[in-house]
Amino acid sequence: MLFVRPGKLTDLDALAHMARTAQPVLHSLPHDRAALEARVALSEDSFRADVDFAGEEFYLFVLEDSSTGKLLGTASIVAAAGYSEPFYAFRNDALIHASRELHVNRKIHALTMSHELTGKSRLAGFYVDPSLRGDAAAHLISRARMMYIAANRRRFTPEVFTLLLGVSDGNGASPFWEAVGRKFFGRDFTDVDIASGGRSRTFIAEVMPAYPIYVPLLPEAAQRVLGEPNETALLAYDIHLEEGFEPDRFVDIFDAGPVLTAQVDRIACVKHGTERVVREASHQQGDVAYMVSTGSGESFRCVLADLPGDTADAPLAGDVRAALGAKDGDVVRCVPLHRRDDEDLKGDAA
Amino acid sequence: MIVVRVVQTGDVDALVSLAKETGPGLTTFKPDRDALAARIERTRRTLAGEAAPGEAGYFFVMEDSKTGDIAGVCGIESQVGLEQPFYNYRVSTVVHASQELGVWTRMSALNISHDLTGYAEVCSLFLSPRYRTGGVGGLLSRSRFMFIAQFRERFPERICAELRGHFDEDGTSPFWRAVGSHFYQIDFNAADYLSSHGRKSFLAELMPRYPVYVDLLPQDAQDAVGLTHRDTLPARKMLEAEGLRYQNHVDIFDAGPVLECHVNDLRTVRESVVVPVAIGVPDAQGDHPPTSLVSNTSLTDFRVGVAPGVVANGSFVLSADDAVALDVKAGDPVRVLPLKVKQG
Repeated sequence: MLFVRPGKLTDLDALAHMARTAQPVLHSLPHDRAALEARVALSEDSFRADVDFAGEEFYLFVLEDSSTGKLLGTASIVAAAGYSEPFYAFRNDALIHASRELHVNRKIHALTMSHELTGKSRLAGFYVDPSLRGDAAAHLISRARMMYIAANRRRFTPEVFTLLLGVSDGNGASPFWEAVGRKFFGRDFTDVDIASGGRSRTFIAEVMPAYPIYVPLLPEAAQRVLGEPNETALLAYDIHLEEGFEPDRFVDIFDAGPVLTAQVDRIACVKHGTERVVREASHQQGDVAYMVSTGSGESFRCVLADLPGDTADAPLAGDVRAALGAKDGDVVRCVPLHRRDDEDLKGDAA
Repeated sequence: MIVVRVVQTGDVDALVSLAKETGPGLTTFKPDRDALAARIERTRRTLAGEAAPGEAGYFFVMEDSKTGDIAGVCGIESQVGLEQPFYNYRVSTVVHASQELGVWTRMSALNISHDLTGYAEVCSLFLSPRYRTGGVGGLLSRSRFMFIAQFRERFPERICAELRGHFDEDGTSPFWRAVGSHFYQIDFNAADYLSSHGRKSFLAELMPRYPVYVDLLPQDAQDAVGLTHRDTLPARKMLEAEGLRYQNHVDIFDAGPVLECHVNDLRTVRESVVVPVAIGVPDAQGDHPPTSLVSNTSLTDFRVGVAPGVVANGSFVLSADDAVALDVKAGDPVRVLPLKVKQG
């Protein structure tokens, strides 16, 4: 069965393989082996460290198939985006241009380079092996991070965000880059994107626009992709929305991909999460898909399991207990994988 | 003789009919009797020293002294922007460079500016199509510099002229399409009309408050920045010959260039001289006899025209007819600027 656990140095070969395979590039997994090793080591230290507030920690998660030991996905959390350098995004502001005399009143959007996301916890480095069918595994590896955050609030900021890949054409050219970034950098998107290794390098301050960019003055093609996810990022987009993230007024500085933000208090893993006591069961009981997690440091594990709704205990079969490393009487965190319809209604009413 | 003279109260009827010859482009000279009468009155007050600095301005007419036909106008504002703000874009250079990446790019940005506040402005030039031959356009344009040279103390340190920007074959401005239309949301002519009639408050409300990166605009709009309207190119050449230069200011609506310079650097101010006039037979020998711009030195009845000859032996010889047309008698001072051949 599939389960999520913290990444380890012994995963290095498998991680290096994923880093090479992932399209687009995963900034959180460098191609350079020494750099990758340093990332994984930082993650091991971070899971072990006693942390009171978000700092330079980096948490790497992997999706493992317990029957084969193969790694089939990865995802990570940067505790504080741009910890040592500012993290850049475009803030899409609405400016009101109104004249009573001319009976004119219009919102004009302008993109301003912003550091506002600096220091906030950022979800990054999401990758699932293309051989995995359906989206349950993608939900598991992506949202296991939120399960970890829910169980370790002090390690992260009250607001978290993620940046998704923006729209590009068949040749990898981003219409937004062509209209904006190329004018400032004078080169291809892919060159600069790799070089940036995130959104917090000094050259961004040197090269990107100091003044706001008026959106209506940009070509149609660039305006259309503002805040739109790449089709390869649609699954990640939906997963985050299901978790309770919302598109914010930020977009990526290079391809205008969406920034999704969430208050940790309001995400599904926190709002709908309950603690239940593990009870040994010989087979699966109940018919509601849940994410189940346990452990807080290196022992963190997260799996998908079907449970009965609204019970105080969690009857778990042997393979699930083994994957979680949980025994009878342990406390686990349980969150329904999908929100029920009546919860949606309650949410709307609120 | 064709003379350019300061406008007089009695000119209003002639100006109304001349204004009917203008097309839709010129917004500052319309057949509006009240507006024209007000402009004449403003000139009178300015000459009489009754106008506040922000109001001061001069209006001139071009007249055929034989027939009394009035065929052109031009104006000077003493100091722009003292009542209502005088808006332009300053075209600035922005460099983005990173040694780490080996990147170096240069682009232009348009910044709303009031840089030209307090400048004098030559403006409102219109010449009847009936007279667009024989270099009278040059006389009309230059007459203002003769006036400024004669009454230098009435003008500030610097001077400017706004030129019409580039328009497509279909008569629309690509710069307006790409920039102005998004902010002002009215059509070009309406915006131009309001602005040139002192109703500029909408500009402050609607204009782009941040710099506009030129390189992010569509190519035709980029190309239009600082580009002169085809029909205005002769005027630009004339102003450049006078010493005015494009110095990175453009119009906020059509991005047409603003030419500017120090008043003391104007060719007419530097090169014109005041000498006594003699009445007689001008020396006009050869196939291309030299000609000069000649003006009297009267403030309230300033007149300037083109006459054959140049200053010789410390005086200038005018024919009796031209002396009448310029309202000077033998021995009166005249200001003379020799014209280059073929430019008269």
